[in-house]
Amino acid sequence: MSMIKLFSQYHELLGQLTSREIKQRYKQSVLGYAWVILNPFFQMLVMAFVYSIIIRIPDLGVPYSIYLYAGLLPWTLFNNSLTGSVNSLVGNAGLLSKIYFPREIFVMSTMLAKMVDFALSCSIFIIFMIYFQIPVTWNILWVIPILLIQQLFTYALSLFLAAANLFYRDIQYLLNLVLLIWMYLTPVIYATEFFPEKYQWIFKLNPMAIIINAYRQVILAGGMPNLQSLGLALLLSLGILALAYKFFKKVEGLFADVV
Amino acid sequence: MKDNQTIAISVAEASKLFRLQKQRTFKELLPALFGGQKAVEHFWALENINLKIKKGETVGIIGPNGAGKSTLLKLMAGVTKPTKGKITLNGKIAPLIELGAGFHPELTGRENIFLNGIILGLSKKEVTDRFSEIVDFAELWEFIDQPIKHYSSGMYLRLAFSVAVHTNPDILLIDEILAVGDDNFRKKCFKRMEEFKKAGVTIILVSHALEQIQKFCTRAIYLNEHRVIVDGKVEEVSEKYVNAGVN
Repeated sequence: MSMIKLFSQYHELLGQLTSREIKQRYKQSVLGYAWVILNPFFQMLVMAFVYSIIIRIPDLGVPYSIYLYAGLLPWTLFNNSLTGSVNSLVGNAGLLSKIYFPREIFVMSTMLAKMVDFALSCSIFIIFMIYFQIPVTWNILWVIPILLIQQLFTYALSLFLAAANLFYRDIQYLLNLVLLIWMYLTPVIYATEFFPEKYQWIFKLNPMAIIINAYRQVILAGGMPNLQSLGLALLLSLGILALAYKFFKKVEGLFADVV
Repeated sequence: MKDNQTIAISVAEASKLFRLQKQRTFKELLPALFGGQKAVEHFWALENINLKIKKGETVGIIGPNGAGKSTLLKLMAGVTKPTKGKITLNGKIAPLIELGAGFHPELTGRENIFLNGIILGLSKKEVTDRFSEIVDFAELWEFIDQPIKHYSSGMYLRLAFSVAVHTNPDILLIDEILAVGDDNFRKKCFKRMEEFKKAGVTIILVSHALEQIQKFCTRAIYLNEHRVIVDGKVEEVSEKYVNAGVN
């Protein structure tokens, strides 16, 4: 409701801030945007080497490299969106204290820029899919709602983190630590079945686990996602979003004073 | 009702309390909590301000450092909210509080014009339509496709001012910015502001330079110690201001 009004009024500003974020990156380095694709790619290669040749993860039905990539790409999007958003208000201190427009635009533009990165880095994944001849079914269209739920969840956390980081700059360092632990509590580099049964409840409460399992299910296995878990992830995301948005709006008037 | 149509800015019993948060990191916060230090210190930057500014008025705000001038301007610009009271604006506002707030050094002059124009509330089409006017005014055609990190500070300000004054505002808020730039450009800026004045734009000018305000404004507000001391015709207020011995 208020989101739609916001978009219609500020979509051009959102577009400008997003393209500013994208442009500033490719202008600063020679390879520029290639890094966005190369980074997760090499990360995947190194991990695939370690886990399939040294540690020898058991057979997963598809080559480990593509199994890993299907989890690593959305995780990288989640990770980069949060680490970018947490600084989106602090990093725009100049604008924040001079001109008023709804502050969530900063968070949104950071998230959109990371979405562009994500879309580009998916290109190599598609090549992998073709190379390994992974059969594709109509179920792959589930990727769209899954991605939407992921972004809703990310947006909720981002709003909270961005505002909190203005008051205490430790939040950004704390976030890095939390994300590191979180990644190992999410089936990114392994499959859910490898986890001791008695701890598997963690995955039921972890929306990122639900989301990453769902991606793999619809892309690699060609099946339906677990709708019950996905529905839970959606509800959880909406709940957190409602709280985070309320908090964000409540402290918004103080942003210019504390920045 | 008639009142509502002629008032551009109304400030009603507005106060602003600043919470000075002394500890910005946990490292600082934890010992402070255990040591019984206050984590937050309060002070009133503005107390009970009442103002009604009519459309088309040119108002100068004077006062010593720390009087609350910039805070008042920021309240009007909407960047910070009053702790108590209410501020109502009637019209499109262009805050020239710090020029080029949205500029990015890696982007070219052209890209920054679009970025800043849209930040200041123009649509993309409006910026396109006014683009050559903006560059003409800034006299920067030669450098328009260069990253602005290569600009001199004068060029930077010229571009920023030019974008800001081409947004067709109803209300213009200006904070000390006219003390910068070379003489020639300053004259040009004042000329442009005279045009705005004639066109009926409401202008609020914060300045240390009393002459600037005497020359340009019809009304002045003398602010000291977070309150309005005098509010009236520019001659009367500047007389009281000089007599008060500050400055």
